[in-house]
Amino acid sequence: MPSSAPPHRRGLVLAAAVLLATSACTVANSEAGDAGAGGDTLRIVLAQEPPTLEPCESSLTGTGMVVRSNITEPLIERDPATGALEPLLSTGWRQTSPTTWTFDIRSGVTFQDGQPFTAEDAAFTIDRAVNSDLMCNVDGYVFDDSPLGLHVDSPAKLTVTTEKPDPILPLRLSFVEMVPRTTDTGAKVREPVGTGPYAIADWQTGVSITLTRNDTYWGDAPAYPRVRYVWRSESSVRAAMIAKGEADMSTGLDPEDATPENSVAYPNNETTALRLDGTQAPLDDIRVRKAIGLAIDRQAVVDVLFDGNAEPAAQLIPDGVVGYNDALKPAPADLDGARQLVREAKDDGAPVDREITLVARNGQFPRVAETAEVLQYSLGQIGLNVKILMTDTAAHLVYQLRPFPRDVGPVALLIMHGNQAGDAGFTTSQYLLSDGPQSYFGTDALDDMITDADQLSGDARQQAFADIFAHQNAEVAQYAYLAHMQGLMGMSPSVHYEPNPATGDELRLAEIRPADGDAR
Amino acid sequence: MITFLRRRIVSSAIPLVFVVLGVFVLARLTGDPVNLYLPLSATEEQRAEFAAAHGFDQSILAQLWDYLGQVVRLDFGESLRTGQPAGEMVLTAFPATLQLAAVTMLIAIVGAVLIGSLAAYRPNSLADRVASFLSMTAASIPDFWFAIMGVLVFGVSLDLLPTSGVDGGAEVWVLPIATLLIRPFGVLVQVVRGAMVGALSAPYVKVARSKGASEKRVVFGHALRNATMPALTVAGDLTIGLVNGAVVVETIFGWPGIGKLMIDSILQRDFAVLQAAVLLTAVTIFVLNIVIDICYALIDARVRQPVAA
Repeated sequence: MPSSAPPHRRGLVLAAAVLLATSACTVANSEAGDAGAGGDTLRIVLAQEPPTLEPCESSLTGTGMVVRSNITEPLIERDPATGALEPLLSTGWRQTSPTTWTFDIRSGVTFQDGQPFTAEDAAFTIDRAVNSDLMCNVDGYVFDDSPLGLHVDSPAKLTVTTEKPDPILPLRLSFVEMVPRTTDTGAKVREPVGTGPYAIADWQTGVSITLTRNDTYWGDAPAYPRVRYVWRSESSVRAAMIAKGEADMSTGLDPEDATPENSVAYPNNETTALRLDGTQAPLDDIRVRKAIGLAIDRQAVVDVLFDGNAEPAAQLIPDGVVGYNDALKPAPADLDGARQLVREAKDDGAPVDREITLVARNGQFPRVAETAEVLQYSLGQIGLNVKILMTDTAAHLVYQLRPFPRDVGPVALLIMHGNQAGDAGFTTSQYLLSDGPQSYFGTDALDDMITDADQLSGDARQQAFADIFAHQNAEVAQYAYLAHMQGLMGMSPSVHYEPNPATGDELRLAEIRPADGDAR
Repeated sequence: MITFLRRRIVSSAIPLVFVVLGVFVLARLTGDPVNLYLPLSATEEQRAEFAAAHGFDQSILAQLWDYLGQVVRLDFGESLRTGQPAGEMVLTAFPATLQLAAVTMLIAIVGAVLIGSLAAYRPNSLADRVASFLSMTAASIPDFWFAIMGVLVFGVSLDLLPTSGVDGGAEVWVLPIATLLIRPFGVLVQVVRGAMVGALSAPYVKVARSKGASEKRVVFGHALRNATMPALTVAGDLTIGLVNGAVVVETIFGWPGIGKLMIDSILQRDFAVLQAAVLLTAVTIFVLNIVIDICYALIDARVRQPVAA
């Protein structure tokens, strides 16, 4: 029977059918059939797409997770569990004068494009990351403003000089990922070449990044021939991908999505605290600042809001970081004591009813809004007047970094500080110095202690920084601590990996194996 | 018709210009991107250098003038976040959103016409009550909740569909389209039903029936044609909403479209990408509005009549 539909309608139906059929095959901006269905491929789901894979930006979490020690490698690698520095592209190093360090460069290493790796490349990389105008994040993260002197003694020997004695230069250089001397010096690169165990095979913008095993790698071959990263913003979707077997590993699950079967908790070196603006009344009164510390029931916050995935904190760095003071214990909540301090301040004229703005960032950590509300309630209990301001990252940075905003009144900023470098010097220079980029105020005595501690090494350094944290709590009280946080990593039973304190910032693929123990 | 089109093009182009200018100015009022892109310890000098390199040290008017000059040359600048050309990023992402919007609206319109007409044919019948209840429910369900439930029920518990992503065939479309479809479908069913109830009780329908026209012709030939206008208006608005970026769907399902790109650009103060994305969607909506107006004119001759002097 002939169709009774007019030709234009038949055309419309046909067009619709074609549209549907076409759509059903492939989504624009993606390549069908590249899912990497398990087996030879390690599938990792991230919370966000890396903005770039530029190695000198690898101190950014999104970039470092993919790049560090996977595509590129540093001269020296820090063991996140022990803090020990281990040889990688440098086989040995020594301080030959207070301002001079010499590094032995590993021979027989080639970049993924076939170029040999020499001291020349190491010097080029450090110069590009630290001395250039590229404004690399790693520069600001671990180095100060002074340039480094670089001298290539031979293809196997590099000398680095500093303007001031720097006892932890090797630790700083462990954050600089090596690139070949042919790398662009005028602009950051999006897809780098490195010496690492994996090379970039494909980056489908918005969809996935695929790495393949570097067959010319100088070290032991990693277990998986192929690694595929995808990204999903929602923690519940990442957990669902693990449960369904669509992904083997996932970063950053929220507590409500994590189960013992699909995840593993690990201390992530992040510490949460309120940073109190001691330049503004009533927070300029140390009794009020100490009262805030006493008012917080840390254990209750940890148990109820963090589901036990944290430890109450009494300082800005966790155990395992050089400078941690194990004599400092979190004080239990003491509302009566806190009220007494506030009363004393009020009697001396402090305007304790002046509104304090508690600034927190959406997505800063799981249940951050509820945490802010608990803090607001606790401070209200001791007679302080607190309002909450929730912001996005960019607005939070306005409050976080100097120059601080004016005319906003007293601010209690909810911060989460991660010391991934493993040395308190990286914390104190930012958070405790009077003019630290993330410090409201300080004292001359504290500044002197920090300056002196920075020149020390070994046990003396450990003790000096431990004393600094004790002094900060007793005499300055810029911070009211909350907790040393834990991360939750989604992990399928099909893989074996032991998370460490650095896992939230770098995920060394070579440490991941199939659970059955066989290389793929 | 030409006069009608010219009038519509002019009236649609004005909001387009205002949207583009508004986004340019408002984006800059949300804050300085310098902190997001420089190391924490960057000096004042470095911050000033960064601002100068990207033109943020100029007045908004000067920046706008530069931007318009670039747009004329089809140069949309470079992403602060990725270093890629903003125009290229937007053009890469947009087709995925367009595909999703087109398929969703096609299904929504066809389904709504059938179900809405069926419900209106016998008002207050069981079919009408069920259709009304379900369409109201569909129009009221939060898409975020529906998407997560879809992932957990159909992706994990029943293991029928992938949880997310774009790798695969038709199955990867099901949950994103279902999530995107549910509200437009619910709204359109109600609009079509309401319009059809009115149309089916109109005198011309009685005349058609008295002349012996078949019920199929009465419903789809006479009543539906007259009920199309309100449905077309609503469908147009809904389509524009989808083209603007199916943000929730793209975020949850990892769909590489322009909605997620815009949200990321806003959060990261990536002005070049945001402006390019807004310009492209604004132009698309401008074209869509013209197409909808042409449809109006084709359906109803009164629309294309020139206004009497």
